[in-house]
Amino acid sequence: MEHMGVEPGRLNFSWISSAESSKFVDVVKGVTETVKALGPNNNFKKAAKVA
Amino acid sequence: MKVIKIEKKDWAGGIGKIQDGYRLFGPVRGENFHDFKALEKGESPDLNFQNTRLSPKSVVYPQTEVLFEYSLDEKEVDHHVMKDAVKDYSPKAVLGIRPCDAAAFLLVKRNFDAPDYKDPYWLKSYDATTFIGAACNNPCSTCFCTTAGSGPFCEEGLDILLVDATDCYYAKAITAKGENLLKNAGWNTEADGGAAEKIETLKKEAEAKISSSVASNQLKSKSTNELYEASFWEDVSFACINCGTCTYLCPTCWCFDIQDENSGSSGIRMRNWDSCMFPLFTIHGTGHNPRGTKLHRVRQRFMHKLKYYVDKYDNGIQCVGCGRCVRACPVNIDIRRVCDMMNSYDSKACACSEK
Amino acid sequence: MLGYIDKIKEISKRLLDEGKVDMIIGFKKGTMPMMNEPCFVKTPDEASKLVWDSNCGINLANYLTDRKEKIGVIAKGCDSRNIVTHIIENKIKRENLVIIGVPCKGMIDRRKISAMFDAEVRQVSEEGDAIIVKGNGFEEKLKKSDLLQDNCSTCIHRNPALYDELAAPLVEEQKDIDKYADVRKIETMQPSEKWDYFDNLLSGCLRCYACRNACPLCYCPTCFVDEANPQWVGKSQDETDIRTFHFLRAYHCAGRCTDCGACERACPVGINVRAFTKKLEKDCFEMFGWEAGISIEKRPPLDTFKPDDPGKFIK
Ligand code: SF4
Ligand code: SF4
Ligand code: SF4
Ligand code: SF4
Ligand code: SF4
Repeated sequence: MEHMGVEPGRLNFSWISSAESSKFVDVVKGVTETVKALGPNNNFKKAAKVA
Repeated sequence: MKVIKIEKKDWAGGIGKIQDGYRLFGPVRGENFHDFKALEKGESPDLNFQNTRLSPKSVVYPQTEVLFEYSLDEKEVDHHVMKDAVKDYSPKAVLGIRPCDAAAFLLVKRNFDAPDYKDPYWLKSYDATTFIGAACNNPCSTCFCTTAGSGPFCEEGLDILLVDATDCYYAKAITAKGENLLKNAGWNTEADGGAAEKIETLKKEAEAKISSSVASNQLKSKSTNELYEASFWEDVSFACINCGTCTYLCPTCWCFDIQDENSGSSGIRMRNWDSCMFPLFTIHGTGHNPRGTKLHRVRQRFMHKLKYYVDKYDNGIQCVGCGRCVRACPVNIDIRRVCDMMNSYDSKACACSEK
Repeated sequence: MLGYIDKIKEISKRLLDEGKVDMIIGFKKGTMPMMNEPCFVKTPDEASKLVWDSNCGINLANYLTDRKEKIGVIAKGCDSRNIVTHIIENKIKRENLVIIGVPCKGMIDRRKISAMFDAEVRQVSEEGDAIIVKGNGFEEKLKKSDLLQDNCSTCIHRNPALYDELAAPLVEEQKDIDKYADVRKIETMQPSEKWDYFDNLLSGCLRCYACRNACPLCYCPTCFVDEANPQWVGKSQDETDIRTFHFLRAYHCAGRCTDCGACERACPVGINVRAFTKKLEKDCFEMFGWEAGISIEKRPPLDTFKPDDPGKFIK
């Protein structure tokens, strides 16, 4: 994905067990922050209408 | 009709004069091949080409065309109503279409302008278009237009025939639409008497250069069932990968598929080109596919073009001999060979004779 | 490579004669310059129509999928690797195949050649390492090595990976090849440049799916782009949908693609779709030391788990 121009950090993978609640919170916080820092996503948005 | 002489230096100027009144399309050189594109203001078509990779059918009949729009938002008065999409049917002109491709529109018209069914989108778009044909002085080795109901100087379907006579262009107005365009462009010098003769000579020369042909005279008298059951289809279809390239590039293929696309509370209904080469073309809701194998599909393409069409309209084959499918097929399936096989098919003789 | 054909015909004839196979899958002469047509041969006599030259770039593994007959198939390096992949993925049975291996010296790129001349190329022939191109009023002798398909010029598996018969002695593999220079070039771009690069690459795409259909890996009965319930991808010429098709297809080929070039070759508008698959091919090589289709013994990296598999991307 990054190879075709999706910014690093926009797509994230994590392995969190259902017992690891605090890791889950950390990861969500972390991801939210990086993605917010990247700003709005402009790729993969469908143009409103095809003429 | 009269022949106008256009000095080459006046060519770009004339185009400049009509670009406000018409949306112009013409061949433009890409990285490796020419294609029909909308011309920018001040841009001239590049007439130094043999033929474009894709056919100009998309000028009238785009690959994706929105037909209706709708809203699902119940706050709006006309929610859940299909509304005609806003379209631009103002005049357009195609500069430099090859005669075979212009003739192809007439073939397609038989389908979209039938007595009991008229396709409003195609027709309005077609009627809004003026076709300025570029006669072919140097046909390709794969062109077989002269045996497919067209020709390098064929005037069918054209409004103007433009002939490149090296030091100038001759423009022959064929319809009133064409005459109008010439007037608007300020091309009004009538050519002298020698022009008609010159055009005739160039035409003869070009026709003599056509090196390939098909025989289609027997197709009508052949039995549909026998052709359908012919033993050569396995051999013909073996290499095909059902990619649909042949039909997407073909100026005479007209099939489409209708799709709705929703986004939030609004959506569109559009049509997209489709192809009988795709399994999806015929699959039923039940999952059954009556044309389940590639043999079925390849046979359909050739039977449609070379038999069903011939029988239905009694007006030749559904092919103008542009040669695109021959040039672009990744595995070299050649309609010329198949046409000849069908034309000479004799179910009683041994059909396995392979060329 | 012209010399191979006598041996290919001889082997094919013998296999058919002895009843070892029901059909041979190979190439016959095309009607266009630089084109041959994949074909089958069912009787020893017909074997004479087979041809072999530098225009056999179509991957014949594509014609084997799910076939039940006993088949003799002519396979250059990449075809054989896709046959191996087919065997691993149960798309064909090893015991039904007699693989006639062709040590390959590369296929020529017909688009490259046509683009070199303003006039139409009407006849192309080869003599050893030279390619002779003719058209109306011109004739030129060119070096074959300059005209190879892009993937052939960086190929390091010209010899078949799996074979029962050989059409010629094995050839020397190309050495010191920088296989991934093009991928690295993209890797160094900024995200927005990358995005634009692929936008531009795909700008002419017709969504005809010739690339998919020419690929031996793309044998799914219903491709995800054709799926209607649920519908994963829109059907119009929208660029998001076009890109979705391409990158998802590339993922589906990860660890399986042999860089045979059939996809690029088939594209009617000449799009180098390998720009997608090659990145994944490179990653598989660098992360898992994996090259597809080399052996029928090994399982591909994406269907095995090893404790030392790279996992840095998982946070
Ligand atoms: S272009 Fe050739 S391979 Fe593709 S669908 Fe048409 S005939 Fe088959
Ligand atoms: S069938 Fe082939 S040659 Fe005939 S009009 Fe279509 S693309 Fe041209
Ligand atoms: S050949 Fe196929 S795609 Fe073309 S018009 Fe006929 S049915 Fe439609
Ligand atoms: S993706 Fe392209 S290069 Fe890779 S195996 Fe398929 S056809 Fe060959
Ligand atoms: S073959 Fe080319 S045009 Fe067709 S879908 Fe693939 S990239 Fe697009």
